[in-house]
Amino acid sequence: MATKLNKRSVVIVGGGLTAALVARQLTAKGTDVLVLERGVDRRKAAEAKIPSQRDELRWDIRGGLGQDWAVETYTVRHSRNEDALPARRLGAFLPGEGLGGAASHWNGFTWRWSEYDPTLRSRFETRYGKSAIPADLLIQDWGVTYAEMEPHHHLFEKLFGISGKAGNINGKIQSGGNPFEAPRRDDYPQPPVEPTEAGLIFKGACEKLGYKPFIAPSGNSSGTYTNPDGMKLGQCQYCGHCERFICEAQAKATPDTLLYPVLFQRKNFEIRLQCRVLGVDYDREAKRVLGVRYVDLITGEEYEQPADVVVLAAFTMSNTRFLLLGGIGAPYNPATGEGVVGKNFCYQTNSAINIFVRDRWINPFLASGSTGVSIDEFNNDNFDHTGLGFLGGGGISANLPNGRPIGSRRVPPGTPSWGTKWKEANAAWYAHSFSLQVQGSSYPHRENYLDLDPVYNDVHGQPLVRITFDWRDNDMKMSEYCTKKMEDIAKSIDATILGPAMPRKSPFDTRPYQSTHVTGGTPMGTDPKTSVVSQHLQHWDAQNLFVVGASVYPHNAGYNPTGVLGALALRLGDDLGSYVERPRML
Amino acid sequence: MSSKDGGTLARRDVLKTLATVASAPLSPNLAGVTAATAAATIVAAQAEPTPAATSTAPVAGYQSLGPDEAAFVEALVNVMCPADQFTPNGVDCGLATFIDRQLASGFGRGEHLYMHGPWRQGKPQLGYQLPLTPEQFFKAGIAAANAACRTRFGKDFDALSAADADAFLQDLAKGQVTDTRVPLAQWFNGLVYPLFTQACFADPIYGGNADKVFWRMIGYPGLPATHARDMVEFRGKPYPGAKDPKSIADFS
Repeated sequence: MATKLNKRSVVIVGGGLTAALVARQLTAKGTDVLVLERGVDRRKAAEAKIPSQRDELRWDIRGGLGQDWAVETYTVRHSRNEDALPARRLGAFLPGEGLGGAASHWNGFTWRWSEYDPTLRSRFETRYGKSAIPADLLIQDWGVTYAEMEPHHHLFEKLFGISGKAGNINGKIQSGGNPFEAPRRDDYPQPPVEPTEAGLIFKGACEKLGYKPFIAPSGNSSGTYTNPDGMKLGQCQYCGHCERFICEAQAKATPDTLLYPVLFQRKNFEIRLQCRVLGVDYDREAKRVLGVRYVDLITGEEYEQPADVVVLAAFTMSNTRFLLLGGIGAPYNPATGEGVVGKNFCYQTNSAINIFVRDRWINPFLASGSTGVSIDEFNNDNFDHTGLGFLGGGGISANLPNGRPIGSRRVPPGTPSWGTKWKEANAAWYAHSFSLQVQGSSYPHRENYLDLDPVYNDVHGQPLVRITFDWRDNDMKMSEYCTKKMEDIAKSIDATILGPAMPRKSPFDTRPYQSTHVTGGTPMGTDPKTSVVSQHLQHWDAQNLFVVGASVYPHNAGYNPTGVLGALALRLGDDLGSYVERPRML
Repeated sequence: MSSKDGGTLARRDVLKTLATVASAPLSPNLAGVTAATAAATIVAAQAEPTPAATSTAPVAGYQSLGPDEAAFVEALVNVMCPADQFTPNGVDCGLATFIDRQLASGFGRGEHLYMHGPWRQGKPQLGYQLPLTPEQFFKAGIAAANAACRTRFGKDFDALSAADADAFLQDLAKGQVTDTRVPLAQWFNGLVYPLFTQACFADPIYGGNADKVFWRMIGYPGLPATHARDMVEFRGKPYPGAKDPKSIADFS
C-alpha cells in the first residue's frame, strides 16, 4: 500500500538536463518544484575523481554510468510482423541514470539546428512541391519556429558556456564559422576548442574541395568561464575521457556542474534521488493527471505524490512509456496510421571511414569529447535534393573524441584479429589513424514506432517499451549519398591506407554503439491527430501534464540533439511559469 | 605455450597436480613459466613458501576457473598473444588472470544483464539471448570447444600445437566449429574475443596488460591525461609520455 504524500505544485519525473532547466526557470519565479530521479549524485564518487575516473573498462566498456539493463531494458524488432526480443545488454545507445542524466556523461556537441528544421514539412513542400514527401514519411512541422526558439538557445548557450565560432550573426555570414548556421544574435560565449591534428587534416582537404569547414560548437570549455548564474567551468584538459565519463575537472558543461548546484540553494527546490517513478495517475474524465507513484529505492517503500502539474522529463523511451502505462492519449497504430503515442520514433543514420596516414602524428589521446571539424554542405536540406530520390542529409566531420585503447584503436582492413601481425598493426597505426563520420538525419517512418511489449516486464512487473525500428529506404539512400561525399573527401587526403566507406544499411543492429540520439515517441505539433503534445509541450489529453525531451522531436536532424533540447526546456520553464499562474491550454 | 611438443607435461596436468597439493602456496611466478620449471616449482613450493611477488607479474591463482578451464584459457591467450618482439606471452601479460577475474566479478555474474525469460533465439542483431551469465556461458563454451577439438584432433584444445590451436580459433570465429547446443561463433566473437582485447588494453589494475606492455606497444600514455598544453604543443608531433605510460596504480 503506497503512502500518500502532501501535494506539490510541480513534480518533474527524471533529474537530467531538461528537468534542471525547467526547474531553474520555475523556481526563479517562486514556484515550488520537486524532482524525482532514479539514480544517485556521483559528483564526489569514484566516477568523478582521479585516478578512478580514467577507467575505460569500468565506465565505458561495462557501461558503469548508464541505465541498468537488469532493471529495465527495451525489446527490439525490425518490423511489426516479428516477435521482439529484449536487448539483454544494449550497445546501440546509452540512456543515463543519476543526477544530470545522460547529459552528465555526454561529449558536448551543442548545435542549433537548421533554421528550417522546426518547419520541415513546409520547407520541403515549398521547395520540392506538395508531393515531394513520400506518404510513409511522417514529417511534420513542430508548431514552433526557430525565431521563437532563438532567445532560449541564446540563454542555454550562455548557461553552458558553449565554445564555438559563429557562422551567421543576424544573417551576416562570418568567416571561419558555419555558413549554414541558423542566424544568431551574437558569437558563442567562448572561442572554439582546440582542433585535433585529424581535424586540421580534414579542414585542409575540405578547403581544397571548396567546402567551408568549421570547428563544431562544444560544451567542452575552451577556457575558464563563469555563467550568468555565477557557476564556473574550468578549462578542458583534452583528456579523452568525456562521453561515458563524468568530467573531474568541471570543464564539461553538464546539469550536475552548472544547474543543480544553483537549484540546491533555492528553498523552493527539492530533488529526491534513488526514487523511481512507476507511473502517472490520470483522471480520464477530468482530462487531468493527479500525480505520480514512485518507489524509494533505498527503503523499497512506495509513495503516491499528488501534484498540480506533472512534467515528464525522463529519457526518450521512458516518456512514451509513462504515457502508455497511464493510458494517457491514444497509442499509435501503424496499421491504420491513427493514434499518436509512440509515433515518430527516429534515430541517427551514421557512417564512417577509417584513414591511416603514416607520416602524421594523430595522437588520438589528445582530445576532448566534442573537438570536431565539420562541414554542413550535405546536412539536412542544405543542398538541392531535386532528382536525388531521398530527403535529408548529414554533417560530415573529423571528430576524434578519444584514443582510449580498448575501444578506439583502428587497424587497416585485412589485419588479423590476434597474433603478432595484429600487434604489429596496432603498434603501427594507433597514433597515425583517425576516422571521418557522417552524422545523418533520421526521418519518421510509418513503421518505426514505440509501444508496450506484450511479453517482457521490468523488475517492477511493468511492461518494457518495445522498439520497432529499422533503417528505411529514405535514410539508407541518404546515407549512401552522404557517405560517398565523405569518401570523396577522404580520397583527397594523402592517406597511406583508406578503410571501406560503409553506408548505413538494414538491419538495425542493437549490439555496437551508434549514437544515443534516439528521438520521438511523444511528438509535438499543432494537431492532436498527429502530435502528443502541443507546440507548448502540453499534453492534448491532460492539460496539467507536460512532456519535454528529445521524445517531442517530430524528426531527427543531422545534428546532435542537445542544443534544441536545452532551448525547448527553457521555453517550457517560462511557459509553465505562466501556466502555474493561470492554468489553461496554452 | 612452449610446452606443447609431444611428451612434455601439459600445463593442464601441472595445474591438476597442483590442485592435489592441498597446502602448497602457489608461486606468484608460476603462471607464466614452462611446464618443466613449473613442476620443479611445485617441489619448491612444498618445501617452503615462495616470497610474494614484487614485480608486475600476474598474480597466480584463479577465482573462477578450475584447472581444466584455466588450461584452456592459458592456451588460448598464448596462441592469441604469443611472446614476440612486442610483448611476452599472453599468460605473462596477465591475460588469463584478467579473464578469470572478470568472470568472477559482477560482469561474469550477470550484473546489468536483463535476465528474465522467456528465452528465445532470434536474429543476431538483437544480441545475446541465452539464460546464462557470462561466466556460465564462458564455461559452457570451453566444454563445447574442447569437445569439438577432441572430435577434430583427438585431444583437448590446450594439447594442440600452436598452429592447430590458431587454425581452430580462426574456424571458431568464422562459425566453422559448431555444437548442437552452444552457439560457438557467438561465444567466441561476442564473449571470448572482447575479453581478450580488454585483457590486453584495460588498466593493469584488472590483472591484464602487465606492466602496461600493451599501452607502451601502441603509445597510449594513460594517466593523468591533463593535456590542455600538450594538445597544442604536441599536435602533430610524437608525444614523449607515450613511451612511459602511467596507470591507476601509479596514482594510487
